[in-house]
Amino acid sequence: MKQSLHDAAVVGIGRTNYSRKSGRTPTSLAAEACRAALVDAGLTPADVDGFTCFDTGSSSASASAVAHAIGVDDLGWCLNVYGGGNIVTTTVMGAVTAVTSGQAEVVVAYRVLASNTRYGKNLGVIEVDGEHQFAGPHGYLVPPQWFAMFAQRHQHEYGSTSEDLGAIAIQERLHASRNPHAVGKDPITLDDYMNSRWIAEPFRLFDCCYEVDGAVAIVITTSDRAKDLPHPPVYVLGAADSNRDGGSVVQFSDMTTMFSAGTAPKLWKRTGLQASDIDVACMYDCFTFTVMATFEDFGFCEKGEVGDYFRAGRATFGGDVVVNPHGGLLSEGYIHGMNHHYEAVLQLRNEAGNRQVPNAQTALVTSGAGPFGGALIYGTAATL
Amino acid sequence: MSTTTEHTDAPASLPPQPAPDVDTQGFWEATANGRLAMCRCINPQCRLWMMPPLDACRKCAAPTNFEEVSGQGSVYTFVVQRQAAVSGYLDNLPYVVGIIELDEQPGLRLPGRIVDIIPEDVHCDMRVQAALEPLPGGDYVVPVFRVLH
Repeated sequence: MKQSLHDAAVVGIGRTNYSRKSGRTPTSLAAEACRAALVDAGLTPADVDGFTCFDTGSSSASASAVAHAIGVDDLGWCLNVYGGGNIVTTTVMGAVTAVTSGQAEVVVAYRVLASNTRYGKNLGVIEVDGEHQFAGPHGYLVPPQWFAMFAQRHQHEYGSTSEDLGAIAIQERLHASRNPHAVGKDPITLDDYMNSRWIAEPFRLFDCCYEVDGAVAIVITTSDRAKDLPHPPVYVLGAADSNRDGGSVVQFSDMTTMFSAGTAPKLWKRTGLQASDIDVACMYDCFTFTVMATFEDFGFCEKGEVGDYFRAGRATFGGDVVVNPHGGLLSEGYIHGMNHHYEAVLQLRNEAGNRQVPNAQTALVTSGAGPFGGALIYGTAATL
Repeated sequence: MSTTTEHTDAPASLPPQPAPDVDTQGFWEATANGRLAMCRCINPQCRLWMMPPLDACRKCAAPTNFEEVSGQGSVYTFVVQRQAAVSGYLDNLPYVVGIIELDEQPGLRLPGRIVDIIPEDVHCDMRVQAALEPLPGGDYVVPVFRVLH
């Protein structure tokens, strides 16, 4: 029988507290989130035979080490993926595929970040190789600069403004104010946004995600087994990726768009869905502009219209689609996009409390920014 | 024996230093010799410019070399860095970094600081000209860009 994506389901979600400085190791944080996800799934470490995570080479803990730390002695499937937010979809889909192909029956996928990695600065004297050897000597080396370059070009070609970026930051912060788990809960005004300090113009402080320590884990198993577990299973309706121009933030051909210009058409074609079918959109938001570009690329609105869309209340409760009801990486906290998966599953289980999107049946979760990234759509049993 | 004084300022931090490999060293050898050169396919039917450099053309697999370019181009996009974020640029704020699309080929881009201009006057599609400047640290020469008059 042909294997289908629907033969696997997300059955558990877990996370730690998010804080600026946990004083804990990545292994400790990851183990806590993985244990919590298994408890949520009604499973134990003894049930687990697969593990996966992604990292960018520091401040992480390997999948095998974390599995061992929660008492798993032997993994039949173990995959450490090198990458950042761009690779979340790939990591989760690796777990789904491991299950649907019979390589594993219960897989935990997680991401952990701890204080010794903060992406926004690089203050030590370093040598830079690869493509960055041409950029680093000019003081052009860290993510806020890369994506501010994209925003600048968009402003030039489409006339988008600081106020438009601010509308995204303000909306996400308002959503986070309903989320006890968020680190940024105090609502901000347009004045607050405009008066926040410049980071890399055109980005201000409130354009940038809120970097934290923490971990998020999800548990994936077979749909058959999911039927007997405590929570309604959440299914993957389809997934897609795009990796353009060698992953270069200098050579990327059209910086008014992002990876999503390639990802979105594939995803809509594979699922038969379109933007108007999406109830919850967990848009990867390392920066406000990431939301702007990817939201356009996924076809929620035309180029240059995102600011008006948000200001009109179309991206929140009672609007067209609820964008990042948890507050996203901008305000809930930066767990590299794994927290978007947590939120999507919570929403589709109807367990999101006072920020529940009414009758949420579909959730788009994007991952990545700039030249590479992916997206998947989660659905409830009713959407299969 | 040298003496020190506690009032001496700490040495200025150094910017990130290039770590060339065999595919990129031609770029740095050229700048050290006063030339801005980019990687280009030698196949007469191809002649593709490419960045980052490769030892074989990414389209036709023919050998490549480094050929001098005019240094003229347009600002595709830029940022005004106003917060200390990268070593070597902790004090001289703000500074402007552009992604410059070189005239030699659409999409052939080189990052570099845009200098001798106030940040408010920089705009996308502005015409610029490369000049070569030593990189603090003493071992490398890098291209910077100025408004082309």
